Amino acid sequence: MRMFHGMVLSRFAMEIATGCVTALAGAIISYGATEFGTGWDDAGPQPGYFPFYIGLLIVLASLGVVAQAFTQHRRTGQVFLTGEQAGRIIAFAGPMVAFVALCVLLGLYVAMTVYLFAVMTIQGRFKIPLAALVSIGTAVAFYVVMEVWFQVPLLKGPVEAMLGIY
Amino acid sequence: MENFSNLMTGFSVALTTYHIAIMGAGVLLGILVGVLPGLGAPNGVSLLLPLTFTMDPVSAIILLTSMYWGALFGGSTTSILFNIPGEPSSVATTFDGYPLARKGQATHALTLAFLSAGIGALFGVLVITGLSSWVAKFALKFSSPEYFAVYFLTFASFVGMGSASPFKTVVSMMLGFGFATVGMDTISGSLRLTYEIPDLIKGISFLIAVIGLFGIGELLLTMEEGLRFDGIRARVSPREVFKTIATLPGHWVTLLRSCLIGCWMGITPGGPTAASFMSYGLAKRFSRRGKEFGKGEPAGIVAPEAADHSAGTSAMLPMLALGIPGSATAAVMMGGLMIWGLTPGPMLFIERPDFVWGLIASMYIGNVVAVVLVLATVPLFASILRIPFSIIGPVIVVVCFIGAYTVNSGTFDLWLVLAFGLVGYVFKKLDYPIAPLVLAMVLGDKAEDAFRQSMIMARGSLSVFWSNGLVGTIMTIGVLLLLWPLLAAGISRVSGGFGRTPSIRLN
Repeated sequence: MRMFHGMVLSRFAMEIATGCVTALAGAIISYGATEFGTGWDDAGPQPGYFPFYIGLLIVLASLGVVAQAFTQHRRTGQVFLTGEQAGRIIAFAGPMVAFVALCVLLGLYVAMTVYLFAVMTIQGRFKIPLAALVSIGTAVAFYVVMEVWFQVPLLKGPVEAMLGIY
Repeated sequence: MENFSNLMTGFSVALTTYHIAIMGAGVLLGILVGVLPGLGAPNGVSLLLPLTFTMDPVSAIILLTSMYWGALFGGSTTSILFNIPGEPSSVATTFDGYPLARKGQATHALTLAFLSAGIGALFGVLVITGLSSWVAKFALKFSSPEYFAVYFLTFASFVGMGSASPFKTVVSMMLGFGFATVGMDTISGSLRLTYEIPDLIKGISFLIAVIGLFGIGELLLTMEEGLRFDGIRARVSPREVFKTIATLPGHWVTLLRSCLIGCWMGITPGGPTAASFMSYGLAKRFSRRGKEFGKGEPAGIVAPEAADHSAGTSAMLPMLALGIPGSATAAVMMGGLMIWGLTPGPMLFIERPDFVWGLIASMYIGNVVAVVLVLATVPLFASILRIPFSIIGPVIVVVCFIGAYTVNSGTFDLWLVLAFGLVGYVFKKLDYPIAPLVLAMVLGDKAEDAFRQSMIMARGSLSVFWSNGLVGTIMTIGVLLLLWPLLAAGISRVSGGFGRTPSIRLN
């Protein structure tokens, strides 16, 4: 057995947590379905019929998953995530979430330039001129492919408006 | 003979300079998508789909299917040279492909993989050519109860035949159905499950789900492993290629078995990934050199590759003829068909024979184009993986989000992709199957409509599903498949645990 140092998230805990989350999702779906009637009328099932039982099935199957977790994954020492892996995930997902937030604020082109530049310089330790070249080059390439070639406009923000690009 | 003349008409549609150029472009894009970790066939096709909305449907489907072939081939390249499966379905290729390449026989391994893949694909297309109009004619007799029965059978077979826990399969599938019901109800017109959030009124697109689940989810998994590329340099020399071709007839038993497994798994919705594992397992069991498997045995490359590709191509048969996709990628393509204004199913064979047979003919040509292009471009695509991941990773992220934005031009979808990415990551790690979720999202509305229409026809009596021999048989098989995990557990308990079969784990 390899020794895992630092924080460890066990598979058992994660199985239980996921089962609870999906059960909650099922409950929300069932609850949302009650708005439209979950029974039958002259024209067969009402609009809420299908979603109601889908939600119910999710809840039941989730309980099954939780029960299976106790029989199959308890005290087996299976690991879901080690501290080292969690660090890698955060290093990758953190900038990604920031990128999405930037997209909403500044549009896709500016956000992708900033995102690529930041990841290359901070995490990849590339020199600034190279990172600038790659990030701006990527944005320009996507602009040419999407807007000019396929004529699919992407989200633009205040910076493009300032430069007069629509 | 009718199929043959149809096929010839199809060739006249597919064999134009424009369409050959589209095939080339699609295959190259597909190889790129297949080579890059995190981008695979289902979400590659999802990303490209919004760009085809304005294209002619025949050209659009040729582009998307060619991309699919390319992605299947590209996945094998990285499996063999880098020991990193570019696609989930090429995991089994790493078992013997990478060891053989490390012995200095990279060209032999690659050529063997591509050729057996090509043979598998052609076998799949032959099956489609032979069976599709027959299946479509048969399906013309279907009305709503039969359709619901077939959908039911499809989903029941995921629960019964899948290697994952049946509970997890049900959770995943039902979540897909749940997502599909969000938004406008097609029969009553009421807005369902929107919880007064305006962004949910137009529903959740299955494309967004695929990009998140497969794209971002896969990237998170790749990142977690701490990516290191230990690539093997390869240059494909024509002499080596011909030497490998000469060894191919010796593998004919493995090839045939793998093709049959692939077709079966492709038509019943087992999918290419399950097919390649099953084929590898059987090849190992039946081979006299079973102990050599895992150390670079050529048959260990032939088996998964041929099965993978014959499953990939034959998954198009139920999609075209019945409107039921056999794999996640076929599900995405079927969604595309509906967006282009075509109705997949038997009527398609009558209304748009040019589309159906043009597509089938393009599969023959596309796979040949793919084998040639993939052999020619191995050094090029292998060099892409030598670009540091701190550049490639973010670029893949950007591509995923651009693709997500183009689906509906809404920023809400970008957050949804992140959420689906998290779900995909957790589900993959906990062995929840993801394909049923995608299939349920694409088929959800159709299955529900078929059910409700049957109920309207039968005035709310469930006995309509056993009202004639055809629908009754399909429903009964479906119920048996659904209960199979229980039955199997009962049998193995009765026989004292001897009946237990080793399950195939996909992680």
